[in-house]
Amino acid sequence: MRRPLYIKALRGLALLAIAFWSAFPIALVVLSSFKPARDIFVFPPTWAFTPTFANYAGLWLRWPDFFRTLGNSLIVTLGATALAVIVSAMAGYVYSRKRNPYLAGSAFFMIFVRLFPPIVVTLPLFPLVNALRLNDTHLILVILYATFFVSMGTMILKAFVDQIPRELDEAAMVDGAGVWSVFWRVILPLSAQGMIAVGVFVFVYAWNEFLFAFIFTTSAAKTAPLVLSEMTGAVDGVEWGVLFAATTVQLVPVLIFVLLAQKYLIAGLTAGATKG
Amino acid sequence: MNAPGNPNRLHPMHLAMIVPVQALLIATIFLPSIYVFWLSLNESSFGVAPKFVGLRNYVEVLSDPYFWRAFVNTAIVINIVVYVELALGMAMALLFATGIPFRKTMISIVLAPYAISEVAAVVMWRFMLDPSIGMVSQTLTALGLPTIEWSVVPAHGLAVVCALSVWLHLPFTFLILYAARLAIPADLYEAARIDGASPWKQFVHITVPVLMPAILVAVLFRYIFAFRMFSEVWLVTGGGPARSTEVLAVYLYQEAFRYNEFGIASATGWLMVAGSILLAIPYLRSLYKRTLTDA
Repeated sequence: MRRPLYIKALRGLALLAIAFWSAFPIALVVLSSFKPARDIFVFPPTWAFTPTFANYAGLWLRWPDFFRTLGNSLIVTLGATALAVIVSAMAGYVYSRKRNPYLAGSAFFMIFVRLFPPIVVTLPLFPLVNALRLNDTHLILVILYATFFVSMGTMILKAFVDQIPRELDEAAMVDGAGVWSVFWRVILPLSAQGMIAVGVFVFVYAWNEFLFAFIFTTSAAKTAPLVLSEMTGAVDGVEWGVLFAATTVQLVPVLIFVLLAQKYLIAGLTAGATKG
Repeated sequence: MNAPGNPNRLHPMHLAMIVPVQALLIATIFLPSIYVFWLSLNESSFGVAPKFVGLRNYVEVLSDPYFWRAFVNTAIVINIVVYVELALGMAMALLFATGIPFRKTMISIVLAPYAISEVAAVVMWRFMLDPSIGMVSQTLTALGLPTIEWSVVPAHGLAVVCALSVWLHLPFTFLILYAARLAIPADLYEAARIDGASPWKQFVHITVPVLMPAILVAVLFRYIFAFRMFSEVWLVTGGGPARSTEVLAVYLYQEAFRYNEFGIASATGWLMVAGSILLAIPYLRSLYKRTLTDA
């Protein structure tokens, strides 16, 4: 399509503005984490500077807890992702293959319940979790994070299983395979993409979640976003360089992960949100 | 087909495979929410036996000016956030759909904020907007404009919350609209062009009607999720100054965990559940029809 020059220029400007809006805050923080203290506050910001790891050393020295909480974040994230993907895959298979009023009712319930605001369940769960001695454990976060994604996970996986021809599982059934082995040998391998898509969503959510971690953990299972928020709230003034180092460590791995997995993210969003 | 008997007959194994999902939802969301309703009818505090008071908590909540402040703030913030996202997301989806250079890279860049935690985003925005050292403030000062006093002026605090929320959630709105726009067959526009329809007419008569289901999904989902907003407000303003920037979730948190008013918090919680369901009614209706016709 041929476009007049001024239209081309406008489109180019719009794209630049979009890229700037999305990437500038991230680039600013990541780059600033490598800046010596005197360069951080220079206005306008310098893009040419001698990189230093002083902020990362400062983070290591003054917030040793941060690296331990990153470990907690990783444990909780992997646990929640595994739990949500496994239970969603099983349910997605059943909802894709079987139709009856009770199943339809339970599918409706599954999505209905997901609409309840998370903060509401903290009220009764807080004393209950205390009584069960589950507060400040990885397990409670794993369960909560998985729960808030299984509805969407099941819908996404149902959409993926819908695309696997029924003839495949029926052929396996004729060969004498039971329900579980059909699921395990036929459905699971063919819905791997959908499982990755669900996994990406849960992973990003669990890695970044703040509210539940804030309410249900204090020290042993504390996750990295909580330490970041403590650093921003430091009374004796924020140490920006160290804070940028911590922010970079927290966000860069998941950012790279999302960019590598963007294909699955988009597939999951279109399957789950528009069809579910 | 080869399957013997009714193909929809459930094997016990099928039931066993949906039990984990349903058990998680019932045990950690449904039963607790029902219990919140019970709590909301009682005067209770952490570690104190509840005492039945009927609807008194609701009366107290509904006559608490802080609740109404939180309610109005929530309404303002979600309406700004959802419609700004819709406008920007739509503009971007249409721009991207006409073919742009470095499409894959551009989509990666646009997607990036999706990966970022609210806390990390707050670090970025607070640094940029800091009244003394932030580059936005310094730019404003250099231009002779007043700066953004987000920790002092409530309206500024809420504006920062809105900007932050739009930044974090624009990828979601954009992707839904973009995927739907790509699914519109090109010959629709071809035919319209041959009939001499202007780009604006094409937008109004083809793009908007065809995209309407996707627009509704994006708007409804963002309404429901923005309604429960907590972290952005908590991390930017903490609800202050003087509780003036609280949203409903922050109000609930303060009542429960700061003032130990579990009854008040529970009544707020149940009002939030009711609000979420009201917002979701259009979605739930279409879902209900679809699951029933499916069955």
